[in-house]
Amino acid sequence: MALNSRTRSLLLLLSPASIFLGIFFLGPLIIMVIFSFLEPGLYGGVEWNFYHWNYGRILGWADGEWEEFDPVYAAIFLRSVRIAFINVIVTLLICYPTALWVNGLPSRWRTLVVFIITLPFFVSLVVRLFCWVLILRPSGFMNSILLGLGIISEPIDIIFTETAVLIGMAYVLLPFMFLPIYASVEKLDHSLVEASSDLGGGPIQTFFRITLPLTLPGVAAGAILVFIPSLGNFIVPDLLGGAKVLMIGNLVEQQFLSARNWPFGSALSVTIMLVMLTLIILYLRRLKRMEINQ
Amino acid sequence: MRQTDTIAEVKGAVKSFAAPEGGKVRALDGISLEILHGQFVTLLGPSGCGKTTLLRTISGFEELDAGEVRIAGVKMTNVPPHRRPVNTVFQNYALFPHLSVDDNVGYGLDVSGVARNERDRRVNEALDRVGLSGFGLRKPDQLSGGQRQRVALARAIINRPKLLLLDEPLSALDRNLRQTMQLELKSLQNDLGICFLFVTHDQEEALTMSDLVVILNKGQIEQTGTPEELYHQPATPFVAEFVGDGSLFTGRIENTSDRPVLKTNDGLCLPLGRDARVGETATLLLRPEHLRLAPDQNDESLGILEATLEQSVFHGAIRNYICRLSNGALLTVALDASDTAYKRITTGDQLRLAYPRNLPYLIKQSGNGT
Amino acid sequence: MKRSWFRHLLSLHGILFLIFVYAPITVVVVYSFNSHPVNMMIWKEFTFDWYWSIFGFPTELNEQTLYVESTDQLLASVKNSFIVAFSTTTFATVVGTSTALALYRYQFRMQSFYRGLLYMPMVMPDIVLGIALLVFFVTFGIKLGLMSIIVGHCTFLVSYVFIVVTARLAGMDQSLEQASADLGATPWTTFRRITLPQIMPGVIGGALLAFIISMDDLVITYFIAGVDSTTLPVFIYGMLRRGVKPEINAIATLMLVFSFVIASLGLYLRSRK
Repeated sequence: MALNSRTRSLLLLLSPASIFLGIFFLGPLIIMVIFSFLEPGLYGGVEWNFYHWNYGRILGWADGEWEEFDPVYAAIFLRSVRIAFINVIVTLLICYPTALWVNGLPSRWRTLVVFIITLPFFVSLVVRLFCWVLILRPSGFMNSILLGLGIISEPIDIIFTETAVLIGMAYVLLPFMFLPIYASVEKLDHSLVEASSDLGGGPIQTFFRITLPLTLPGVAAGAILVFIPSLGNFIVPDLLGGAKVLMIGNLVEQQFLSARNWPFGSALSVTIMLVMLTLIILYLRRLKRMEINQ
Repeated sequence: MRQTDTIAEVKGAVKSFAAPEGGKVRALDGISLEILHGQFVTLLGPSGCGKTTLLRTISGFEELDAGEVRIAGVKMTNVPPHRRPVNTVFQNYALFPHLSVDDNVGYGLDVSGVARNERDRRVNEALDRVGLSGFGLRKPDQLSGGQRQRVALARAIINRPKLLLLDEPLSALDRNLRQTMQLELKSLQNDLGICFLFVTHDQEEALTMSDLVVILNKGQIEQTGTPEELYHQPATPFVAEFVGDGSLFTGRIENTSDRPVLKTNDGLCLPLGRDARVGETATLLLRPEHLRLAPDQNDESLGILEATLEQSVFHGAIRNYICRLSNGALLTVALDASDTAYKRITTGDQLRLAYPRNLPYLIKQSGNGT
Repeated sequence: MKRSWFRHLLSLHGILFLIFVYAPITVVVVYSFNSHPVNMMIWKEFTFDWYWSIFGFPTELNEQTLYVESTDQLLASVKNSFIVAFSTTTFATVVGTSTALALYRYQFRMQSFYRGLLYMPMVMPDIVLGIALLVFFVTFGIKLGLMSIIVGHCTFLVSYVFIVVTARLAGMDQSLEQASADLGATPWTTFRRITLPQIMPGVIGGALLAFIISMDDLVITYFIAGVDSTTLPVFIYGMLRRGVKPEINAIATLMLVFSFVIASLGLYLRSRK
């Protein structure tokens, strides 16, 4: 076969990723989607029959015989969406001013401060969450201090509440909000801010009319990057939320590791994936529009 | 009354920046300046001379370490940019990429809450004035460089500032467009009757448009004057070199056969006019147009220089002859390119160059130059 | 300046931000040296004993408290983590770099498909990828163990290397390669002597990132690790689920130091160009 050298080197460079990702990335996703339409076996495992009740259990139809529609799944799903959404807002409110602060520092400080800010996030997720377990649990650091200072008379329960989950979630996902926002704040042409000020815009007007609209792409990217991992998270609710604050991730984990209903777990997982894909597509279309507009 | 005539005034302005390699750099080193009603003033100087810093202290983006800025008689110290009655045309135009041309131009009115009708009327008027009617709905990136320039201009004049600051606004345009815009800016300034303070490093631009040119060097004013004054009577060697072409010769003025000459250290002897004061050290400026080929007969009113032609460069109407003098220095002579008499001259020829003794300008060393 | 109150407010916010980020870590590090055996929040005295005990050395606390987890299991999980991280880093770096080169160098019809394929694993929620891999391995009868973890990590780490190297390539001056070709170098020589040295910081940066993420990965490993092949994060997660014990402080501190060193190394290499 006569392949020219260009085609040959292209094939050589591209085939490892194509083969590997084709088999081990796309393959598993396809199998998972197939599984979500199979009938769960009686004692774990699957029967190879088409079975749409897995989705029915989540979204609200049931055969009334084997599968019952239980609104608890929808409720957990909605709670997950709510927590993920609040987390986006919280991290945004924390990170945007920080990005402005860093951007206003003298240039030789900036790289260093960005490094200091992102450094802890190279530390293992378990370790970071363990820090909060230690602080928030009843005999933990926070209660010790509050009791010691006499602010409270008996330990307050923070761990295993939604607040604890939100704290942990925000802590773990901060850099995913910070970095995109900082990138777009840093990219913002400072002469535009000066031009606004020159034309009579005060600091607040300048922020809302110029700075914020022009850094919105960074905010959108950050929101996506925080929302998606928040939604499917099961480690944070597991360690800080306990059995009280179940999220969809915990449900998936249970189906696989204790309930052994893999098709139902797959269906839940496919649902998460669909939410993610929808958001990404909306984001990309929006991004295209913004690029056309600017 | 003096106060009504002075639009802006800078007194003893000093501003230092931390240098990247440590220590401090004085960007402004005691500058005083007065801009009168209706003037087109240009700040001219090489990059790093402090001209942009001076502009930014007037617009309010930099605060002075010492000295003060007054606009329309009001002291501007601690007045933030958005409260100053000046507007700026930025070097890169700084058009808001997310806003249409209309909204860019109307921005100054929008932030100060001008009523919709009034706002639209003034936006249209401003766009009309810069020749961009009908472009209102476009985004800045759908405009050419020249059109962006005009939008920036319209945006800056809509607030009717007392003083318009222009920070090298033409530097991004190509040559032809730049020349057109120079004329347009000048006539716009005449129509509006507001002061323009224009920053540039391009001497040609400065000479074309300005009523008054301020030449800055190393944070200090070298000379302030009309374009003619700067060209014909430069106060310092720096100004002479920066404005126009020409060669400088520094030496002592001596008397030779009853006529003053300038003797340089490397042995060159340049005849001078009668009014030169013997005994002083001075710098002589010879511009290309001062020089001609010497006539055969002797003429007492001419100074003669012997030189070898190294190169001739065609410039359309004129041809520049670059000649080397006996001391090794280069001298440019501009001759009429259409004159066939010069056709015979070829590279390597020995030339006798002549200049009217009274014409060249003598810069006194005692001046404020270095 | 008039705007200074605004700047001050921002600075205050920035400092609070840093406190929020570092305070929890500090608490763990400090209390890893606390000898109080029962309530680790009550400071008793400074000790290294928790560090000794995690490596299985007998200490005073050790005998008193019986808190010790199996040191063998811990060390085995550390060993697994390193095996996995080194294997995945090698594979992901080679494949990620070659894919980045292919997409940078050649124009072809499938380009946007490949770009999408490489971005997808990064935005895919961990849990989705984790259970997809689990279902896949079990369906095809592949035994869960170190090999399945390595494969699983590679599915998303190739993308990280790809992104980092692509960013580096985008900043490269293409005329350098043209100049090399113009001077008579073969494509292979040009690659070896011009391109590779140019993108090397990106390749090393991508490799370090892949290494750190592989060492830290919990969720995907959690689903596809076999019984006898846990990695360190999964092991600690298991410990945490069974209750908080003081020696976790010491393990966490060691992991912190390790991650900080790798991340600083990455920054140092990047700043050296």
